[in-house]
This record gives sequence, structure tokens and C-alpha cells, in this order.
Amino acid sequence: MKQVVLSRVAAVTPLGEEIDSLWQQLLAGRTGIAPIRRFDSRHYISHYGACIDGLTAASGESLMVPLLDQVAGKLARLPENCRLLVATTKGEIDRLEARCRAGKPVTAEALPAAFLERVARRFGLLSPVVNINAACASSTVALARGAAMIAAGQVSAVLVYAADIVSEFVFSGFSALQALSPEFCRPFDQQRDGLNLGEAGVALLLLDEELALREQEPVLARIAGWGAANDAHHVTAPARDGCGLVLACQQAIAGAKIKPAQLCAINAHGTGTVYNDAMELTAFAALFGRNLPPLHGLKGSLGHCLGAAGGIEVAIAARALQEQLLPPTVGCQHPEATAVGRIGEQSQAISGDYLLCCNSGFGGINGALILQRIVS
Amino acid sequence: MTGWINGIGWVAARGCGRGRTAESLPVWNGSLTIPARKDLFDQADLRFGRLDAFSRTGLAGITMCLRDAGREEWQQKRSIGTIAVSSGGCLQTDLDYLVTMVGDGGKLASPNLFAYTLPNCFLGEAALRFGLTGNSVILQQTGGRQHDVVCRALEELTWSACEAMLVGFCDVPVAELSCPEGGYGSLFLLLANTPDAVLKSYGKLERHDETLLFNDRSVAGFADLVGQCLKRR
Repeated sequence: MKQVVLSRVAAVTPLGEEIDSLWQQLLAGRTGIAPIRRFDSRHYISHYGACIDGLTAASGESLMVPLLDQVAGKLARLPENCRLLVATTKGEIDRLEARCRAGKPVTAEALPAAFLERVARRFGLLSPVVNINAACASSTVALARGAAMIAAGQVSAVLVYAADIVSEFVFSGFSALQALSPEFCRPFDQQRDGLNLGEAGVALLLLDEELALREQEPVLARIAGWGAANDAHHVTAPARDGCGLVLACQQAIAGAKIKPAQLCAINAHGTGTVYNDAMELTAFAALFGRNLPPLHGLKGSLGHCLGAAGGIEVAIAARALQEQLLPPTVGCQHPEATAVGRIGEQSQAISGDYLLCCNSGFGGINGALILQRIVS
Repeated sequence: MTGWINGIGWVAARGCGRGRTAESLPVWNGSLTIPARKDLFDQADLRFGRLDAFSRTGLAGITMCLRDAGREEWQQKRSIGTIAVSSGGCLQTDLDYLVTMVGDGGKLASPNLFAYTLPNCFLGEAALRFGLTGNSVILQQTGGRQHDVVCRALEELTWSACEAMLVGFCDVPVAELSCPEGGYGSLFLLLANTPDAVLKSYGKLERHDETLLFNDRSVAGFADLVGQCLKRR
């Protein structure tokens, strides 16, 4: 088995376009969530979302195009024979919506393949491209798949590009499902009442560790373990007992060849919905008993970025491991009883080498990754 | 990488079918009739009635495959994963949802339709009906072959703790768009680490780089693979 490392990250988020500035904003407890101006939200149950300032598209284009351009522009030359995995839940859905409103017919440009070709061209990676659609766990599952490909010696470099935008399509749907918070979301707070949507684009380069060292590529963290499992419970609601998340985390822990006690922190999905956060805490209790490590969630800062959520969270988790510091969980003023002292609106110092990242999504899917700190 | 094909199920132009009872090969050219509940299940089934056309088609293919493999009934959840490729995914459901959304400022947006505007949702439906706890993803691709997804399933079978993988494709007509490679409908294979202990397995699938071999013969696509399997019954 080859060792896999996270080597480079490029991201564009509602809190900035550089990982360094994003990190500082997170530590300062800032949020990118603000009143929605992109579309008329008056008939929806929420009027808040986390949109990227200044993200605009040419007429007839999707916002995914300038987002892709901005992210790709931050990445230097990629290794030869680098494979590309994409993780988006709805791709260029805003363009489909615009065509529908205008009464225009659907063309082949609406198919996912058209977007994948655009991504491949922009990154200059022309081998077959695959989009991993696992709902809100898409990027976590894509990173797990990329890591498995490298670990098996199939390839030595994989770029995962994860992106989704705040669209009226998704906003109206979550509103209809009563899943949006009418206020700013409060992950893991006793008074939480729903999520806020966000948007982001993030590219993460995974490398065979030997290649990274040989080519003097940066090493942000090792991807030590991964797992994915289904609740087999419900299409849109999580299993109350967190069975699928427990299984995914157990797979990741086993793959990393560590014990749960070696995990010094958790980057949780933490959407701010009543059921998701309760499910996660139940799963963590099953995994860690009374020894819950410090945990945090980013969705109070960035909103729920759907297919990009896991990608952004892994990028920040790698930084958190390096700095031995967990950013605040914005909105978590009064944590659930089982997480008191383990999560809050303050940064937390951590001490250890392994961090668990996890995400869950519609369709009952759960993904988990374990990052390992590399001390040079 | 190897796996054993222990079950085959499909929804094609002439309806639902499965390998062990089929009198002829599935026909992929022709209009697709979206499966109704009575095509699959004897009992009334409220959940099935709520599904969109894409999910019904995918779920029906999985149901027929598990039935063919003798794995439809279950007591304990099973470490079986699902991986499927789709060209259009749930695009038609997206369009149907948009119709409910664009009028009246979104007041009438359908929560039921929205719940199926992710293509992996029918995998969740299959997971809860059949107790499938493995990884479950939909792949959308460009630049590859439709049956490359079988290579991905063999990888998952090798790299994960799954005892078996359901692998296949699912596509339904979308507005005026042309038919994807392989035609409309769904096809699923149950690929397992070992041949079935009770039913005679269809045979052994091997992967060498990106080449698939079924009982040492190369595989040109899903239709070819099913043809080879059915010839061996």
C-alpha cells in the first residue's frame, strides 16, 4: 500500500479566496452567511445564505464557470498523468433553471458530461473524468476514492475538484422540505433549527507520498484512512442511531490502523438541522463513549456547500492539525449536553496526530476520512 | 481483480427481466415503459408510488438483480455496495421540479420531487429496502466507456470490506435529448467475492488494467456481458 498525502489546496469560499485568509476569518469567528440577494427569497422560509462576493456569470452562463476559473487559476502546474475526480451535486443547475424560466429547450449542455468536459479542459487534464455523486458526502467520497486509487498504486496523483453554488433550485427545495433555518444556522446548538446554504469551489491534490517527497511538493497531511457506508434507513433523513456514520468511521479508523482514542479532533458535518446533528452526536458516542474528542463544524461560517462541503472541511482540517487548533463553531452558543466542553464558539487547542472528517447526505450515504499530521 | 456474477436484473424496452428466468436477451433499443409497482411487488407499496421515473427504473433493476441472485429477502443488513453510471441522471426530475418552482415565486415547489433531484437517491431507496450498507454512488463520466463502471465496482470490491457490489447503469428519457450509449433502462449485476453457495454463478469476471474478461473472453459492453452470461445458463 502506498501512502497518500494531501499536497495542495485551492479554494474560493464566501470567506475569501485564499486558505490563509479563510483560516484567519474562521479563527476570528466570522461568517459568510448574509441576506440572500441572488434571487427573490420572499416566499421561502429563510432569507439567508453564504454567497461568494462578486461571483457573477456572463449571460446564459452558469456561476460554476467563473468559480471554476477562479479555483483553477490558483493551482500551479499539475503532475503528469494526474487523474481528475469531480464532486458536485447539482453542477450548472442555475443555467438549467434560467433556460426553463425562458422557455428554452434543454440541450446536451445540460448533461453532467458537458460540465465535466469543461472542468477537464480548465485543469488541462484530458483523461476520462468521473463525477462522484454521493449527495452532500460527494467530496468526502471522492477524496476517499482518490486516496484508494493512489494507495493501490493505480495512479500517483489525483485532483479532486468539488464545487456547488447557491441556486434558487436547491434553496427552494430545502425550503419546501422545511430544512432551512430562518436565522443564522446553529450547528450542534440546543436551539438549532435548520441549515443555511453556502457555495464554494475547492481543488485538492492528492499524491503518492513518495512522489511528493521526490518532487518536493508540499505535504499538508497524510490521508491515513477512509470509509463510506449507507444507513439503509431513509432517503432524506439520517438514521437516528447513526449506524451508517459509525460504520464509515470504523472503516476509516481500521484503515488508518489506529484506535479511536488516537483521534484528537473531529471535523463534523454539523448542518444545523435537528436530526443530522443529533445523529452525529449519537454516532460519536458509539465510537468514543465518554471520551469525545474536541469537535467543530464549519457550516455556521460557510453555510452548507453541498458537494463542496467535505472538500473545504478537509482543507481546513489539514490546517487545524498543523496548527493544533480547531476553529470556532459559529452559532454553537449552547451545545447539546453530550458535547458540552467539546464544541463551542471559541477556538480549541488540540493535541495529537489524527483528525476525523465526516459528512452525510441524502440517499443515506456517509463518508469519513482520517487525516494524519506530518511533522517534517 | 476478480468478482463473480451472481445475479443479473434489468428494465429494458420490453419490461423488467432477470437472468435466470429470461427467455431472451434484454432489448435496449425502443421506448421504455417506466415500471409500475405491480411489475415488481405483489403488495401495495406507498413508497414506490412516490418515486420519480429515474428512481423507479433504477430500483426495479436492482430489485430484479437481487431476486435473480436469491438475495432479495434479508434479516440482517448486508455489506453490499452499489455503484451505477448514468448519463442524464435525474435531469428529467430536475425539469419536473423546476415546473413546480418557477411559478408563484417558488411557493408551490414540490418537496417530494425535490427529494429525488439527486441521482443517488434511488440507491438510498434500494439500501433501505434491501438492507445494503456498502458505499453507494452514482458516477457521471466523460471520455470513458459505459461499462468502465464495472472496473470501478471490482476496485471497490477489492479495496473495501464489501462482500458484494451491485453495479450497473440507469438512464431514462430526458426531454428532447438523444438516447445515451447503451439505451434507456437499467441493468444491474451482483458482483461478489465468491460464487454463490446455492445458485450456480454466471461466471468469473476479471479485470486486467481497463480490460474486462468474463470467463477469459473480453467484454465489449454491458449488452455483450449479459449475452455471455445468459449463454452460459
